Amino acid sequence: MSQDIVLQTEGLCKYWGGLKALDNMNLAFHDKSLHGIVGPNGAGKSTLLNMLCGTYKPTRGRILHHGDAIEDIRAYEFVRRGIGRGFQKTNIYPQTTCLENCCVAAQRRTGGSFNIFARRNRDKLLIEMAEAALEKVGLQHRRDAIAAQISYGEQRQLEIAMVLATAPSVLLLDEPMAGMGHEESRLIIDLLQTLKTDYCIVLVEHDMEAVFELSDQLTVMVNGQHLVTGTVDDVRNDRRVKEAYLGQGDEVI
Amino acid sequence: MIFTNKTEQLFVWIFFPLALLLPLFLEQNVFYINKLTTVLIFAIFVMSLDYLVGRCGLITLGHSMFYGLGGYLFFMIAPEYEAVNFWVYTFYICVIAAVIALLVGVIVLRTSGIYMIMITLAIAQMCFYFFSDSIHFGGNDGLFILMKPDTSLFGLAFFDLDNPIHFYYFCLLSLFNCLAFWKLVLASRFGRIMDAVKNNPDRTTALGYNVFLFRLISYVMASALASYAGYLFALQYGYVNPSMMSWQTSGSALVMSILGGMGSIYGAILGTAVYSGLHYIFEHMTEHWLLPMGLMIIAMVMVFKSGIAGFIENWVERRK
Repeated sequence: MSQDIVLQTEGLCKYWGGLKALDNMNLAFHDKSLHGIVGPNGAGKSTLLNMLCGTYKPTRGRILHHGDAIEDIRAYEFVRRGIGRGFQKTNIYPQTTCLENCCVAAQRRTGGSFNIFARRNRDKLLIEMAEAALEKVGLQHRRDAIAAQISYGEQRQLEIAMVLATAPSVLLLDEPMAGMGHEESRLIIDLLQTLKTDYCIVLVEHDMEAVFELSDQLTVMVNGQHLVTGTVDDVRNDRRVKEAYLGQGDEVI
Repeated sequence: MIFTNKTEQLFVWIFFPLALLLPLFLEQNVFYINKLTTVLIFAIFVMSLDYLVGRCGLITLGHSMFYGLGGYLFFMIAPEYEAVNFWVYTFYICVIAAVIALLVGVIVLRTSGIYMIMITLAIAQMCFYFFSDSIHFGGNDGLFILMKPDTSLFGLAFFDLDNPIHFYYFCLLSLFNCLAFWKLVLASRFGRIMDAVKNNPDRTTALGYNVFLFRLISYVMASALASYAGYLFALQYGYVNPSMMSWQTSGSALVMSILGGMGSIYGAILGTAVYSGLHYIFEHMTEHWLLPMGLMIIAMVMVFKSGIAGFIENWVERRK
């Protein structure tokens, strides 16, 4: 990999009591590339993502962002360092417009969030930033639509727009294509294809076709353990991966 | 114009002129003037609770603690036999109440939902029993404020606290200022994030905001204004009483806020006025006034799904 390492985990562990949700993860995520993470249910993919964005604190191990250890800082400080996160379940402000959703996301950058006297819609810069984020995901025509009333696929796009509005350098996306039709998935795949030229993207996804198409690096996890990391072709031909997904060769299913 | 909503404008244009003119018709009747003043003062208190519950999603049953503290704080910091400056002590009381709210808030805001209701109730009850059991603060009977503060500013006396009409107008002005203040807060950048915190706290954290800090600031602001209302109440009759801090005070304030239309802010005025009006009417009709009162409130909450404010809003919408 030629690009710099942006985010790195060293011996990352998460135990829930005796359950090893994640055990000894050593991964490196590179700038301007997409790192796919796949694995069967319960493999610890979401746990990993939750730790990378600070929601869970690791039991052991370190998370390095540009070389700084960040596993101990608060969840909201991860965003300030440029680590943005999209959720598996659509997680937006449903009662407000798409633009307002992005304004909330972008306002941290313009500052003044503690100002009780500054009118909220007076700032041109803020509106511009929010519009830019909507434009990136192709939702500019939904600018003034109420978020609850746009289609599910569009809500997923909005979700990504909100993350983009925080001006991240790392995008952590948790199954952005979950529950989508083929055409809608296509839209997101194309979107991620363009986004990965600018961002470091960590993508957890069940849609194998999409992951194979998008990933520069691919990690397979099973039962909280790291199985294999490599290019798509490496992983495709790996014997252990086939075993994990399809079972032992002589087993009758 | 901070009043953006049509119904709200309508309300402001009807209510405040009406309230301005009302004393002209009641010139002779000090009893009614005092009664109305109490409603205005309580509306300031209910408004601050309405902001917390309706706009921040922080359900508290201990808000009366700050209402009571407003009165007791004045007794604690003012010299007993000397008239102090009203404006200076208003400032002191709000600041001290804000500091107390900061300390209480740091504890209380670690919880949410039902646990927050419990812990705010517990702290308010502790405070209530402290004042109702202490000899120094007059116990159950409360205290009399011997010297009311002097209201002159730069040597000019604008109004007299002992004159009910003056005091009525002052409370009306305070109420208007509070309404304007809360509207300003809601329309601000801070208000945007506070809306976000209320609607989806997890997402707001994931966007890089310190949700706890936003809640704390809101809690402090609302508590400071609640104690301002308590301070005005103490000045009206010149006495403070631990029942100001009782959970019934919080409870009825909550009912008023729900009745008015939670989160609408101006609904707090409607809720307080209607509740107090009903209270007055039923109290004079029957000894068991709580029974018709309760039935009436149940009926109103069922008919007005989003409070009186919501009902009027729908009505105005349909008329267009």
